[in-house]
Amino acid sequence: MKFFIGILFLLLPYIIDAKTIEVCGNCEVKTLKSAIELAENGDTILIKEGTYKEQDIHIIDKAIHIKGQGNPVIDGENKGTVISVRANNFTIEGLTITNVGRSYTKDFAAILISESTDFSIRNNTLENVFFGILLEKSSAGLIEGNTISSQAVSEASSGNGIHLWYSNEISIQNNNVRQMRDGIYIEFGDNCRVENNRATNNVRYGLHFMFSNYNEYHNNLFEENGAGVAVMFSKFITMTQNTFRKSWGDASYGLLLKEIYDSELKNNTFDQNTIGITADGASRVTYNQNTFTNNGYAIKVHGACYTNTFKENNFLHNAFDVGYSGRMNDNVFDNNYWSDYSGYDLDKDGIGDVPYRPVKLFSHIVNQTPEAIVLLRSLFIDIVDFSEKVSPIFTPKELIDQNPRMKKIAW
Amino acid sequence: MKTFFGLFIVFVLFASCSNQAEPINYGSDACHFCKMTIVSKTHSAQAVSAKGKQFKYDAIECMVNDLTTENNAEMAILLVANYLDAGNMIPAEKATYLVSENIPSPMGANLSATASNDDAKQLKTENGGELFEWNSLKDRDNNPNSHH
Repeated sequence: MKFFIGILFLLLPYIIDAKTIEVCGNCEVKTLKSAIELAENGDTILIKEGTYKEQDIHIIDKAIHIKGQGNPVIDGENKGTVISVRANNFTIEGLTITNVGRSYTKDFAAILISESTDFSIRNNTLENVFFGILLEKSSAGLIEGNTISSQAVSEASSGNGIHLWYSNEISIQNNNVRQMRDGIYIEFGDNCRVENNRATNNVRYGLHFMFSNYNEYHNNLFEENGAGVAVMFSKFITMTQNTFRKSWGDASYGLLLKEIYDSELKNNTFDQNTIGITADGASRVTYNQNTFTNNGYAIKVHGACYTNTFKENNFLHNAFDVGYSGRMNDNVFDNNYWSDYSGYDLDKDGIGDVPYRPVKLFSHIVNQTPEAIVLLRSLFIDIVDFSEKVSPIFTPKELIDQNPRMKKIAW
Repeated sequence: MKTFFGLFIVFVLFASCSNQAEPINYGSDACHFCKMTIVSKTHSAQAVSAKGKQFKYDAIECMVNDLTTENNAEMAILLVANYLDAGNMIPAEKATYLVSENIPSPMGANLSATASNDDAKQLKTENGGELFEWNSLKDRDNNPNSHH
């Protein structure tokens, strides 16, 4: 029986003639709400140019396609959520949605999608929103080419640009998210792909994973966020070819890792961050072929980080290459290029003949007494670092790159 | 005038000696336990140790987890955000807590605090869930990862 219903459902768009409902100021149908009421499965609603003051628009159990033509604006007049959907197989495309209501206790969004599958949200512009696109318990969706922004600069009462909650298999591509709380937040979401997005000037994180496994993100730009990306309490995360830039400030990081396991970081660039990567409780993570330039710290390793490998990375002109708490080390540093390396290569095999110790005693001192940073680049500190290099006492003895490269590694 | 000035000095001395909770700087202070920036005025928490050290948390579950696992400092003040009055901190021991799937909290425990038992009951009627007192909360497992 279920099988037949399924077949019927598949054929539904063909059985019923799909029609197009036009919405405009002079049309028969003047509001999106009334168009949705008229629409049946498979129909297209074409919204023409103009401003529509509507909110609390509900799409329930209707597989419809909403398309904007000539950039129509839906103005939510700061009253709650603008469009909420609970349906399968639908599209929302080419709309501008502005002025979403704000609240401390309700997560009002421009587009709220709950318990839905098989949908795409494409090429929309969401301005002055609280939450932009909010997904709850949904799956198999595409979020592509949207521009999401808000005026919230340092306000904590801002929402997230794209927020996934208990949602799986979502593809997030080519979006531009700025001045939100978190640009993209994935909370309890598995098997999601985040590609080619720009997340800039967000108050907290550009991209944030929490309790989410088997996710990947590639080719994204994270610039001037509180922290570029935060991955917390998650496993099996693949991170490649991303750029993390200009996260400057007290609690600012390019990438914040907290309780993350079995993950991979490859071909990423960390440029001008207070701390490039901070890792706390990060284990079995491979850091291969990444480039760290002009950061305060390139990598800061806190407690409980085991069996990590750092291979073929470029460390260029960072104030500190590696910061380390504690004397235990279970992590491998090998074949990296360190711009601070002052050894020689007599056998000309491209690998320095003298091992390199990336943790300086001074970084240990700064860890204990942050004010000591004023002594940076003084002769005294050079002597302190040199003596520690000769006979390590405070820094982990085994933390050593036996094969430091003589030349920057191209990847 | 002089007496006023003297009183003022005494007042300042007293004020600087007492253990008071510093206001949380939302959007820039980081959680002591999970390192996340604190943004939620409805779910934050804070503690001040007997020696005056400030601990701030982005979520109540972070404070509970910190106090039951890593942090052994003796606390003089424990405060939690009142879910029904954003930004207002109330004593943790006197609050009533609601764990409801319909009210997500920053670290996934769905845990919120209210100032009174009546408030909590009202919130429970609206959203469903389970009520807790501070002590029962500490005995509970508040890590959502262990449920998965």
